[in-house]
Amino acid sequence: MAVSPLVAPTSDAFKPSRPISSPFKRQTSAVPSSNGNGTPRYPPAARSAPGDGAAMTLDPIEQLNEDEKRKYVKGKKLGEGTYANVYLGHVRHDPSTLVAIKKIKVQQQYQDGMAPDAVRELKYLRELQHPNIISLLSVFSSKDQNLNLVLEYLPLGDLEMLIRDVDRVRYGAGDIKAWMGMLTRAVWFCHDNFVLHRDIKPNNLLIAADGEVKLADFGLARSFADPGRRMTANVITRWYRPPELLFGARHYGGAVDIWSVGMVFAELIIRAPFLAGNTEVEQIALICKQIGTPTEDNWPGVTQLREYTVPSEVVPVWGKEAYMGRFGAVGADGVDLLVRTVALDPKKRITAREMLEHRWWRTDPKPTRKEDLPRKSGGEEKMGADLKRRNGILDDETNNRGAKVARKLDFGQAK
Amino acid sequence: MSRRAPPGARTAAAASSGSTSSSALAAINTEDMCPVCKTIRYLNKDMEFLINPECYHSMCSNCVNRLFNDGPNQCPYAGCHRTLRRKGFRSAFFGDLAVEREVDIRRRVAAVFNQVEDDFETLRDYNNYLQMVEDLTFDLVSGTDAQRRAAEATLQQWEAEHKADIERNRKAGKEADEQSRRRLAAEREAARQRRFEALREAEEEKRERARSREEELDSLAQGEAGAAGGAQRVQLKKRGQAAASRAVEAAVKSDVAAADVGRLSIRGLKEKKKAPPPDGPYDPFGGLDFMPSRYKLRPGLTHPGVEKYKVDPAHITGGYNFDEYAARAMFEAFAGLGVFIEDEKEVGIGLSAGEVATMSAGIAAVGDKMELD
Repeated sequence: MAVSPLVAPTSDAFKPSRPISSPFKRQTSAVPSSNGNGTPRYPPAARSAPGDGAAMTLDPIEQLNEDEKRKYVKGKKLGEGTYANVYLGHVRHDPSTLVAIKKIKVQQQYQDGMAPDAVRELKYLRELQHPNIISLLSVFSSKDQNLNLVLEYLPLGDLEMLIRDVDRVRYGAGDIKAWMGMLTRAVWFCHDNFVLHRDIKPNNLLIAADGEVKLADFGLARSFADPGRRMTANVITRWYRPPELLFGARHYGGAVDIWSVGMVFAELIIRAPFLAGNTEVEQIALICKQIGTPTEDNWPGVTQLREYTVPSEVVPVWGKEAYMGRFGAVGADGVDLLVRTVALDPKKRITAREMLEHRWWRTDPKPTRKEDLPRKSGGEEKMGADLKRRNGILDDETNNRGAKVARKLDFGQAK
Repeated sequence: MSRRAPPGARTAAAASSGSTSSSALAAINTEDMCPVCKTIRYLNKDMEFLINPECYHSMCSNCVNRLFNDGPNQCPYAGCHRTLRRKGFRSAFFGDLAVEREVDIRRRVAAVFNQVEDDFETLRDYNNYLQMVEDLTFDLVSGTDAQRRAAEATLQQWEAEHKADIERNRKAGKEADEQSRRRLAAEREAARQRRFEALREAEEEKRERARSREEELDSLAQGEAGAAGGAQRVQLKKRGQAAASRAVEAAVKSDVAAADVGRLSIRGLKEKKKAPPPDGPYDPFGGLDFMPSRYKLRPGLTHPGVEKYKVDPAHITGGYNFDEYAARAMFEAFAGLGVFIEDEKEVGIGLSAGEVATMSAGIAAVGDKMELD
């Protein structure tokens, strides 16, 4: 396990004022290389024949990009989003090693450089190497200056699919503990490396072939801000957004991610989004109702926040007992951890490190081993997968094993 | 394998080569005459042919008794100098003694080379092993004398060297056999039950039909035309019910059978697997520790430039964490110390030394800029 010793310095390199010249650079934009400006585009000749013959005409950076690009083979499209297309691919010299290639679309409003979310993703994934964080294997640019991120391929869907599939997927306290452990480790790793994820939710938690949960989508990530530097409050998907962001706080810390972790925790237990507001006002109302109304008593200074508006009816903050009925499945210690993660005042909220030091991890039941965790159930998807027949996925291999064994002549049963 | 002849040719080759499997290995009952004493079946109705797996020469039981009752003796066949014992004789299972011999050899080889797939690292290894065993068997069955001796030696050597393994595999195999036998028996029993049920159903239905027909006739005789249709409907309904209940029963039964079968085979699998190594206590941190090694973080570390923000309500209420800031500032101050480009070459995403150098320089540059900021 490679733990990156390097952490991106906190420069807002992707601010529009600073032109990002070319995605040819393999380094993140945080690292200005010697020829950071004005990397020339492909000469037309080189583009038409990017093979070995043209290699002589490429400058070293372009050559580096070309080499990197040639390491991977792009396959069929797995999905299309507004901001990127995802393709299945594999390593050229080893077709069984699958990768996902995320091709960032050129966006209208960022014609001159790269979209900030692409830069964020690139910048932080490049630095963070942890078993519970999706790993960025490589970056290259393709013909029309499109940025391609080569990510590890995680075939088993995301945590949201498992939570929603109530009929076919069953899981218990040990499984929740294992998933939460992996999620909390990922968040702790980010925070200890001074990165805020700012979009933690079940469908950003992807599942690897071995059952390991991996935090993905760093499109909203940023590093901790210096004091006095304002950050946007308009981050994190609404259901998972903490009250300080809903109230428009511009100076916040790792506590925002912890609230999201708490929401995911609650969702894992009740198998439905815990606080699912349709608007921000409704979200605040839900928080006030289910957790308690933020007041000067429980959160000094909260009324001074820019967008502080709460329903007139003041609900006192619920105690641990109130949660036991609905979330009792994880035991008293689990509920204790949950209550600490959803503390209204971010200063009183537990940190990722404190979460991992909580006694819940050491009490029974033990977290399930990752190989034994529930997986996306079979059914149609399975059949579809069989028809498509991808190799390198464990399931198929074990099923077809019998056909590959040489037949053994056995006359022992003859008599 | 070029060595392997087609099956027909192979038997012929087996018959023509070697001393034990000489041309005398003919089918027994072609002429029903003992090749030793020339007695024919006409004279002795109970004549029984016996063979000895030493040389597979067949002779009638009378001859065996006559020749070998007084102890070991030479095979009476001309040119065969094997010493046979009374105890070794048995009746052949196959008419073709070449087949009998091959089966005996295969059984013997299989008893020694009884590895199963789970014993091998990869499928390829297992297939190679099967190939090796088959080659050896072929040598024993129809190789030349030299080949056979070599194969025999290999077999014996292997047997001597791997006695414990063989015994263990034999036991495991026995258990698996036992299980599959039990499963088969359970399936057969289930099938019998189903057949029996079906028969009973059919019988009942027939009776029911006859009864309702009688009723119908009765009602017709009494001149109530409407009732007949009703009876028909009732009967149809009943039939539907019977079919439905039958289906449910069958489903339940097959479920039970499936569960039973599933449990058996799963247990078989699990027994073969090694018990997973007992995991140590759960480490929530996954074995990582980010405690800085070059400096110590004390609570309340501060900086004159930060003081004014520490009292700023916007920072306090929003949850801005000044300890996190201090940790980051310290980390950045010490970042790069103790990092040597030579050591870093191999880590990261395939960075070359040059790139690492550029990167470090870049970090340094950015760091400078930040201080100016």
